[in-house]
Amino acid sequence: MKNIFPLLIAMFLFQISFSQTGVVTGVINDGEYNDVLSFANVIVKGSQTGTTSDFDGKYNLKLDAGTYTLVFSFVGYQTKEITEVKINPGQTTTVDVTLNASAGQLDEVVVTTTARKNTEASVLSIQKNSVTLMDGLSLESIKKTGASDVASAVQNVPGVSVQGGKYVYVRGLGDRYTKSILNGMEVPGLDPDRNTLQLDIFPSQILENVLITKSATADQPADFTGGVINIVTKDIPSRAEYSISLGVGYNADFHFKNNYLTGDKSGTDFLGFDDGLRDNPIPQSQQVPLPQQDGELVRDLTQRFNPQMAAEREQSFMNYNFAITAGDQFDVGENKLGYLASVSYRNETKYYDEYINGQLYRKDESDRSNFELLADRTQTGELGNNTVLISALGGLTFKTEKSKYQFNVLHIQNGESEAGIFRLDNFIVSSNTIKKDNLTYVQRSITNGLLKGTHTLGSNNDWNLEWNLSPSLAKVDDKDFRTTPFRVSINPTTGEEVFTIEPSESGDASRFFRSLEELNLAGKIGLEKEHNLFGFEAKAKIGGAFTQKERDFEVIKYSLPLLNFSSATFGGNPNQLLIPENIYDPNTNSGTYVRQDSNDSDSYNSKIQIAAGYIAEEFKVTNWMNAALGVRFEKFDLIYTGERQDGTRLEDAKILEKSDFFPSANLIFDLNEDENKKIRTSYSRTTARPSFKEASLAEIFDPISSTTFIGNINLQPTYVNNFDIRYEQYGEAGDFFAISGFYKSFTDPIELSFIRRAYGQYTPLNLGDAKVFGGELEIRKNLGFISGLQNIDFNLNFSLIESQQQYSEDERTGRLDNLRTGETLDDNRQLQGQSPYLINLGFNYKDAETGLQGGLFYNTQGKTLQIVGAADVADVYTMPFHNVKLNISKSFGSNRNSTISLKFDNLLNDDIESVYQSFGAEDQLFSKWSPGQEISLGYSLKF
Amino acid sequence: MKLMKKFFLPLIAIFALVLSVSCSSNDDGPIIDPDPDPVNNKLSGQITSDMTLTNDVIWELDGRVTVTSGATLTINEGTIIKAYAGQEASAAVLIIARGAKIEANGTADKPIIFTSIADNIALGQKSGTNLTENDRGLWGGVIILGKAKASLSGDALENQIEGIPASDTNGLYGGSDNADDSGTLNYVSIRHGGTSIGDGNEINGLTLGAVGTGTSISNIEVVANVDDGIEWFGGSVNVSNAIVWACGDDALDIDEAYSGTISNSVAILGNVSDHALEIDGPAGSLEGRFTLDGITLIGNTTTENGEYADLRDRAMGTLKNIYAVGFKADSDVELDNNAVAQNFLDGKLSFSNWTVSLPSGVANANDIFVEKTGEGETPIILNPSFTERAASWANSGNSGGANLSNFTWTYTQSKGAF
Repeated sequence: MKNIFPLLIAMFLFQISFSQTGVVTGVINDGEYNDVLSFANVIVKGSQTGTTSDFDGKYNLKLDAGTYTLVFSFVGYQTKEITEVKINPGQTTTVDVTLNASAGQLDEVVVTTTARKNTEASVLSIQKNSVTLMDGLSLESIKKTGASDVASAVQNVPGVSVQGGKYVYVRGLGDRYTKSILNGMEVPGLDPDRNTLQLDIFPSQILENVLITKSATADQPADFTGGVINIVTKDIPSRAEYSISLGVGYNADFHFKNNYLTGDKSGTDFLGFDDGLRDNPIPQSQQVPLPQQDGELVRDLTQRFNPQMAAEREQSFMNYNFAITAGDQFDVGENKLGYLASVSYRNETKYYDEYINGQLYRKDESDRSNFELLADRTQTGELGNNTVLISALGGLTFKTEKSKYQFNVLHIQNGESEAGIFRLDNFIVSSNTIKKDNLTYVQRSITNGLLKGTHTLGSNNDWNLEWNLSPSLAKVDDKDFRTTPFRVSINPTTGEEVFTIEPSESGDASRFFRSLEELNLAGKIGLEKEHNLFGFEAKAKIGGAFTQKERDFEVIKYSLPLLNFSSATFGGNPNQLLIPENIYDPNTNSGTYVRQDSNDSDSYNSKIQIAAGYIAEEFKVTNWMNAALGVRFEKFDLIYTGERQDGTRLEDAKILEKSDFFPSANLIFDLNEDENKKIRTSYSRTTARPSFKEASLAEIFDPISSTTFIGNINLQPTYVNNFDIRYEQYGEAGDFFAISGFYKSFTDPIELSFIRRAYGQYTPLNLGDAKVFGGELEIRKNLGFISGLQNIDFNLNFSLIESQQQYSEDERTGRLDNLRTGETLDDNRQLQGQSPYLINLGFNYKDAETGLQGGLFYNTQGKTLQIVGAADVADVYTMPFHNVKLNISKSFGSNRNSTISLKFDNLLNDDIESVYQSFGAEDQLFSKWSPGQEISLGYSLKF
Repeated sequence: MKLMKKFFLPLIAIFALVLSVSCSSNDDGPIIDPDPDPVNNKLSGQITSDMTLTNDVIWELDGRVTVTSGATLTINEGTIIKAYAGQEASAAVLIIARGAKIEANGTADKPIIFTSIADNIALGQKSGTNLTENDRGLWGGVIILGKAKASLSGDALENQIEGIPASDTNGLYGGSDNADDSGTLNYVSIRHGGTSIGDGNEINGLTLGAVGTGTSISNIEVVANVDDGIEWFGGSVNVSNAIVWACGDDALDIDEAYSGTISNSVAILGNVSDHALEIDGPAGSLEGRFTLDGITLIGNTTTENGEYADLRDRAMGTLKNIYAVGFKADSDVELDNNAVAQNFLDGKLSFSNWTVSLPSGVANANDIFVEKTGEGETPIILNPSFTERAASWANSGNSGGANLSNFTWTYTQSKGAF
């Protein structure tokens, strides 16, 4: 505890000279770019007194008269200490310094809240100085891995896995336990089935960084358990910055294929939205009669539908993208005004010539000694997919001496069109062969506004006030999903295939429209007061938050049955269904007609209101022990309007009303005086609440999996006790080592459960207790200790997670009924979606002199329980996908402002595969497709 | 758009103006009211106490109508019930839940008729004029659920009937009381139904889930249903004088170890029908054997499918005194896989006295009997084969099966289907 002494001296100096103050001022210059350094740090050595330079690199510090050593530091730059700085009463002393970029030497890093956050080392510093367990991902490291969106970027964070390329699981805990927020504020989800946000729609171009907090504090929302993923959008640059980037990607499996599948396209598909081509052609209040009731009207309504039902062939194009950003800041009198604008566009095309999905395998119910799984349904086909993603971000920042105001608007527009032709063979429950054409278009958008103010108050600048207002609107439209199922039979005389539409075998052709609209209003306010406690600086926090989320969900379905018409004449061509001469004609009383299939129980409206307040204190008990203690109060109300199939209707009914306290404690122990070896321990109580869909009367049939989801209006929230411990060590040049352990116990966890008496139906239930525990290891190391390898960084993280979930009674019975000879049943199973292990491994190469940069990365996750089996249906596991990526980039030109990058994905050409597994049985495919190998070329220019 | 209006009203007002000009395709065309009949005798929701449907008005069935445990629905002779259109959850179905009863006693002169709201049949008539046997799926169907035994997956005692979500416990069937009494169906005609009632499940004309022997079911007609005509899910009830015509799927369908007797009944295929008989075995370890006795199967040469009989899984029972006529040359009576073939070898599945009116191209009556195999299986009925053995029970001829004079009251008969 050697550093107590200088501190005491500094305090002593403060004490004797309080009455006479002077000012030290100056400019901090950037030795690298011949510019000023904004937001660089100036600290009086051995004290907590300091400031940061402003937009112009200027700093200004009021000090008592005396002699000081000033420490100037900036992330990624050599720290400079200026000794013998004399402050005379009433006078201004000028000290200008120039900081040079560190060549792998970082003695001491101090980052304040306004520090530039976009370098690796500074994210580490945020981590280091945070009172919570935190893992950060800087823009730089996202660029290194070449990730184009948040979802693929965050999988490099320890303990984080990504499901389906969209949904982030932290420590193996699914979307129920993982919270994604934008700039610290809650935003609506974009999936009717989930409460969380899909992260693949956030392009990396708009990011400043991504911070993942794994232990709770009182100022964080209470409804997370695995972690909070905070997506922080770009900050205003400190000087004029413009950039433009272009890229193309080529995948030999996907691109320039003549047999690519597509549906019809609207004129605005390339902009990520539909121009109305796929709108529901029938007004909502229009009753659709039977043709036997009003043939003319039915004919008229049927004619309004877009006749395209078939997936068509055309040549696929390659992937391409571009992005433009601009930012600058200006003086407005004494104050500063900065702006940022960013637009990015991405267009990606995929084509799978063998796409296996939704296969069904069963255990032999009549013979327990038969270990092999029996095929009930196989499904293979071709699938074409085109995804357009546009993001636009605009931000204004106004900074006065003691206040900063930010206004940001973000809009993300995403359109995804898919066309597929599949062949299903049914064996057990039904027995037939089906050919299906599917056309889908999903249009998603999210618009988020953020108005934020930070103010320094009080004569001693020891009060900080921050307030945020953030409305967002999210919309998801499933527009005109079209399915045409033909039963395929063989004509025994000719041996040719005959295609017929048989509703009792595979349903009628159908059109499906679904819309979700969610509006969030989120506001929060927090006040911090710096003060002394136990002789140390301490921070008291108090604040409140209010969030209202409201979701409207609506489903409209139509079928296209045939009357007095032989579908065999279509020859299996779905487009024949709606050609003019085949549409129902009252005169002949035959043809295709439209029938409305949707009903009131498919739609609902839900509202969530959360009012929160917290109080917390961050303080030092001794100079080697930091503590953050706090308690949060949250009042949670869920208000529901909807109707059950049996006619039960709820109108604005408050179905959940909970008021809870959530205590949290984080303790940080410094093991040495440099504060670069720490032990962190943490306890917190958190909650997991049912999603809109789960706590509902909804009864939703999924025609793809032939399962029905039944909402449970009586669901209760889950409460979780979280315990964490972590040892971490910060080395030089971004070296980092951490090892952590965690334990979580769940009361009333919500799991989707199988209903034994109703085949293929599922409902969420509060099950018996569950627990999750595990460990994480992270190493970031520069290989400079081996001569010649100083340009290479090694990066490894590894997580081991074990979860134990008790079975529901029905699930337990269902499993016991279907045990194989010699098989035994444990008391519990792993949680759905939880990976038993996660591995990330990477090597980065960077040579500042030549501008050459490269990286080789490996990522995988262990076998994950994807679908919980039901009775004789076996469990489905996602198998490990071994993803190896290589990135190479070279910067050139004056100031190295041009960069060319080359990226290779999936070097091992691995497949994405999920399988049924059962005791003693050979694995059988649930799904399998090949993502192929993509080569991307990019160019970017900064000026 | 509800949310937006609520919160951004002024903003949206301008926005909406722009939208209404540029993007009006959603509101294309006039809203035309199909002018439904004025409603006066509508059945909807749950019937929880005794109720009688009289024959002086036409009753209307709206959505899922359930007679709950303890209640009896009495339907007088000559009553007409017209069901509304509507699919999935809003499909019109009549469910007689476990513990509830239906007393539907029609007569040959005054049958009880379930049909579509689109049917122009009037009181006192036995049929309308505007619909044919090809008008299917205009409403749901009739479901009777009881407490008799069914052989269920995992040996569960009860199960949820297909198409009704588990949240509606009135959809449960099964139990241990084989003598259970769900009431009476006599001279009842069910027409033009079979729409999807949920889960993508087209419903049968008459669904019998674990109905017990205390129930009396005779003189039943199902015409123009999308799915099967009559389907038995376990249970032990005996059914006589049933006729099924022109359904979209199978005519008579047996599952889950139904153990009753179906006697003097007729299955007539239409242009889009599947099999005349589709028979599955038990789903659990409980076994039960059906008896089909005195059945006439009338085939169709237009339909793409249309087998005589498909015996699947571990089907077990007796098929005797069967007469089959009018099938295609390639139609067959097939044992689907080794499991059902083994039951035949073990005597759990037996055939006797079949008469087949031979289609041209079929030389012998026993040629229509074939053993097929599942994936990776090989035939197990050998020396002699199943086809060869069939010679002992199958003969060619032009009579047999059901006594058709019992069906003179039916719509099927009036349309000249046989």
